[in-house]
Amino acid sequence: MMRFSSLFTLSKFGASRAFRPLAMGMLALGLGSFTPSCVSLPEDGTTVTLGTHVDDWRDEVIYQVLVDRFANGDVNNDYLVRPGALARYQGGDWKGLEDHLDYIKELGVTTLWISPVIRNVETDADVDAYHGYWAQDLTQPNPHFGDIVSLRSLVKRAHSQNLKVVLDIVTNHMGQVFFYDMNLNGKADIYIGGTGTSSQVTRVSEFDPDWNPIGVQAETSLGLAGRAPIVFFQDPTIQRIAPVPGILARAEGYHGFGRILNYDVPEQTMLGDFPGGLKDVATELPEVRATMVDAYTRWAELVDLDGFRIDTVKHVEHEFWKVFTEGVRTRLARQGKEKFLMFGEAFDGNDQLLGSFTQKGELDSVFYFSQHYQVFRDIFMYAHDAAAQRGTDQIEKLWAARATNWSAEPQDQGIGVAPNKIPVNFMDNHDVARFLFAALGDVAALRNALTLLLTEEGLPCIYYGTELDFSGGNDPANREVVWNTGFPTTGDTFRHVAKILGVRKASLALRRGNTSVLWSSPHVADEEDAGIIAYERSGGDAEDSYALVVLNTNGKKSSSTSSGESVMKTGKASATLVDVLDPNRASYKTNADGTLKVSVEAQSGKLLLLESEASELGF
Amino acid sequence: MRSNDHSSARSKRTGAVFSLAVFLLPSGALAQSSPGGRGPSTGDGTSGVAQGSSGTSANGASAATPSPGPDTNELNDRFEPKAKAGTVANGTNAGPTPGTAEPTKADDKKDAKKDEPSGKFEFGSYGRVRAVSDLRGGTGRGANIVSFGPRTDEESYAEIELRREDTWKDGIKTRIVTTLALLPPFFHFSGKMTQAIALRNLYAQGTIDRYTLWVGSRMYRGDDIYLLNWWPLDNQNTVGGGVGIKFDKERGDTMLALHAGMQRLDDPFQTQSVAAVAPYGFGSTQVIKVDRPRTIETAKLIHFFRNSPDKTLFPGNDAMGFKAVVYGEAHQLAAGVQRDPLTDRDRALPADTGFLAGVQLGYWTGVRDGFVHVFAKHARGIAAYDPLAVPTTFANDRTTSGASDTIIATGGNLETEAVGVQWGAYLRFFRDASEGATSREKYDEGAVVVRPNIFISDHFGVAVEGSYQQRRYALADADGESKLTTGLFRAGVIPYFSPAGRGSFKRPQLRILYMATARDKGARSLYPKEDVFSQRSVEHFFGLGAEWWFNSSSYP
Repeated sequence: MMRFSSLFTLSKFGASRAFRPLAMGMLALGLGSFTPSCVSLPEDGTTVTLGTHVDDWRDEVIYQVLVDRFANGDVNNDYLVRPGALARYQGGDWKGLEDHLDYIKELGVTTLWISPVIRNVETDADVDAYHGYWAQDLTQPNPHFGDIVSLRSLVKRAHSQNLKVVLDIVTNHMGQVFFYDMNLNGKADIYIGGTGTSSQVTRVSEFDPDWNPIGVQAETSLGLAGRAPIVFFQDPTIQRIAPVPGILARAEGYHGFGRILNYDVPEQTMLGDFPGGLKDVATELPEVRATMVDAYTRWAELVDLDGFRIDTVKHVEHEFWKVFTEGVRTRLARQGKEKFLMFGEAFDGNDQLLGSFTQKGELDSVFYFSQHYQVFRDIFMYAHDAAAQRGTDQIEKLWAARATNWSAEPQDQGIGVAPNKIPVNFMDNHDVARFLFAALGDVAALRNALTLLLTEEGLPCIYYGTELDFSGGNDPANREVVWNTGFPTTGDTFRHVAKILGVRKASLALRRGNTSVLWSSPHVADEEDAGIIAYERSGGDAEDSYALVVLNTNGKKSSSTSSGESVMKTGKASATLVDVLDPNRASYKTNADGTLKVSVEAQSGKLLLLESEASELGF
Repeated sequence: MRSNDHSSARSKRTGAVFSLAVFLLPSGALAQSSPGGRGPSTGDGTSGVAQGSSGTSANGASAATPSPGPDTNELNDRFEPKAKAGTVANGTNAGPTPGTAEPTKADDKKDAKKDEPSGKFEFGSYGRVRAVSDLRGGTGRGANIVSFGPRTDEESYAEIELRREDTWKDGIKTRIVTTLALLPPFFHFSGKMTQAIALRNLYAQGTIDRYTLWVGSRMYRGDDIYLLNWWPLDNQNTVGGGVGIKFDKERGDTMLALHAGMQRLDDPFQTQSVAAVAPYGFGSTQVIKVDRPRTIETAKLIHFFRNSPDKTLFPGNDAMGFKAVVYGEAHQLAAGVQRDPLTDRDRALPADTGFLAGVQLGYWTGVRDGFVHVFAKHARGIAAYDPLAVPTTFANDRTTSGASDTIIATGGNLETEAVGVQWGAYLRFFRDASEGATSREKYDEGAVVVRPNIFISDHFGVAVEGSYQQRRYALADADGESKLTTGLFRAGVIPYFSPAGRGSFKRPQLRILYMATARDKGARSLYPKEDVFSQRSVEHFFGLGAEWWFNSSSYP
């Protein structure tokens, strides 16, 4: 309750200051000292005090949420929602996410990665910007998801439940905000060029023209006419207007070379528009860099974010990342926010390329796309197809390569963990078909892959719906709506994830231990050790904690950690290990020389802790 | 006494219309106790700000006229169509004359002929026109940011009323009323020979003994706050009918009015037709998919406290009195199935309900057109939303359950032969049903306006007006730092020519108008940056205006 005098404040009038006494008098005359209940913002949505909410990012588990698809907490922002049409808005919002934090907590994850929050071009070519990657205004929230108050409330509520929030951002490009006026007629056209006899017939789209190494050209019947003018759209009905802020509303803020045709050509990758007419920003310009630092750091300040997931980092020059990350870290550190995680998405299986973005002065980590392809696809998804499946020795090689491909030094003012110790592990995400789609519905393969994902070294990232056995194909089929399921927590996959994350939370080794691969195999058929991968998590920052993971990726038979005379050798001699995934808590005793032969059923795994530690941790 | 002298003078001045004014006092519905008519919702829409609220359409719908005070129409017209000493020029009511007036000769003649059927056609009107500049080369523009801001910058509007009145055998009286409303822009402004016309009244009414019945399409409402162009308590615009009951036949000190009506707005929320394959032949035919009128029942109980032959409550002043009003509404909206035009899929529209309860206390001084009204009401559910608008925000079950509208308000006028002062003020707390903590449809607002008048001569006067209005939203401002609070202050001067004489409510009135409006940062932020209203902190409103009402059942 608030007294009337404070309810109706005579706010900043400038020229009307002289009238305030009179206005106050009239208020008093007409309304007295009535004490009403009055509009107020929820406490969670008002003041923000920046703080560091993370001790060690290796302790965290990310849950990726596409906000539009998770939960609809307020039907009043369901603008242009088309239920069931997954290329369109579905109605999810930040309040819905906040309302279901308990579900997320029960799963055992600790960090939310939420899709972009900024205002987007509403729609383009009959597809909506529900995903958030078509930026138009970097300063305003997307009203489909709520307002700044509801976003703050979500973050504050998440922090109160010891959940962190990472925001998805894009610096490489903006949405479909301008066209190239290639025929100089002042409007956006899609037309057919060429005669078919003396010249080739071509289709030209001024919305999204092909790459041209000298810049998109204007062309008349008489030939080339120089660089095609960049013309910003003026269609406020779909928010397709000049971007905000600053230089982003000017042609000089963009490269203007047209759409990438060949991702293997570095020049195109760096300077070309992202397919779909997403205009490539001239990130080499100091003004653009400053704009990006300011615009996105402001969001961290506005809502007390804990990190950025950064889109399309391989399309931006390394120098930008040095400037950007330093700018963000320095500005936030001044305000008491440290260990602000910045990890990038380089959609590429080249592990060296991935690692390049983690070098000194750049990102804290990147998505482990090389692992997505070489491990989750080649080994786990193909468990049903021996002809396609690769041996687990591929895992060992990839992990070993990380030690050198990725930086071994923590970033200055970064999260305090070397990038090669904290890859962002994932099996699928919103840009690829879901695991179960690619694995032809093989749920056993999914759960086996989850065991690896949640026990390997690094920062696990689970795409929403994985726990519910979602199986959508490629975009947008892989972006299903959750609320239609009723948020069940009893499914086998949900319980499997929750169980492993419960162990991970308790086991220091699983969170911070180093990795030693004890057994891998090139075999994928009927061999004794076909499909086996076994690794220890110990040492490093794990103190005395110890964990041993043994997985059989073979889709057809039991395999063991042995091959003929050769038997897996652990780092623990004469130790009793307990499988905490086994309801019966089966135990295994290593020999005096540390060897241990473990047989594992097809597509299953064992998570072994020292008996004493398991007992101490309550397992 | 000076007041008596004045009453006498008024009677003389009104001579030409007096006989009409007597019989043509408000059409007689119990709730239609004060002058004024609510116009269609396009009225004040120019501001583009205060109209946004689904709970506030009354602001845009108002074509308000003065509320000269005591709610005597229930008595004088409906139940006792006789001249009262308190009836003043141009048909406005100066207050009740609780049974003390002596019958006139005209009354005697009527009595003699009361069993002879008689009838007549009548014409009445309310209107206001303006020609205003913003002193920057553009037209003057409304700047209100609350639901019921001061009326000084309202649009032109006019009503034309055609009415047939008859007296039948046994003293039975009937009235057939048709009221057309004209909405801007008018031809001489837009150059277009088209005109938006609304039908504001089309009903028939009959009175027998203590009972009055009416059926039709009708504005049906109580007292207004003239300066805010607003009926704070009851303001129905339905197609329906009602009955008024006067518990004591002669005086009607206690009356009950009951009404039931419906609306089915031309909005997919309430009505929708879709194409379907014709059952015979070729092609398609239209099928009504959504048909869910809002049905509204109202009840209004009024009691007057005033001198009577049996009791003297106010010694020496028979024109003084009080009234108390208790008012209630019940609203229902049936369930339906709507075809979503975006997806062509059917989706359920749940049933909805709501109620409103309110009270009013009125006091009339007995001196000229002096009165004071105080109103309070609370509405919940669908009743929190003006019936001329559909809700735009909902609870997650898509009902309006949880929505509320709470209002306290006052309006009044005090005047002497030389000076007068009118005022209006209100506080309003509107909460939509949305389950989010923030919404543009959750807000507190209020306004206060004071208009002192100086009656320089019998026909000329000057008014000055000052007002302040503020709305505070459950939203963060553009910087995200604090609550979005919007406010504006307005002051101005209105010299006028009043052919009908001295008085704040004498009409017609021809005016020169100047108003300056100072708008704060929050108020400016409500407009897109392309709009000059987002940039200018001071607005001018200068021009000419006229307002009249005569012989109208809506504006007696």
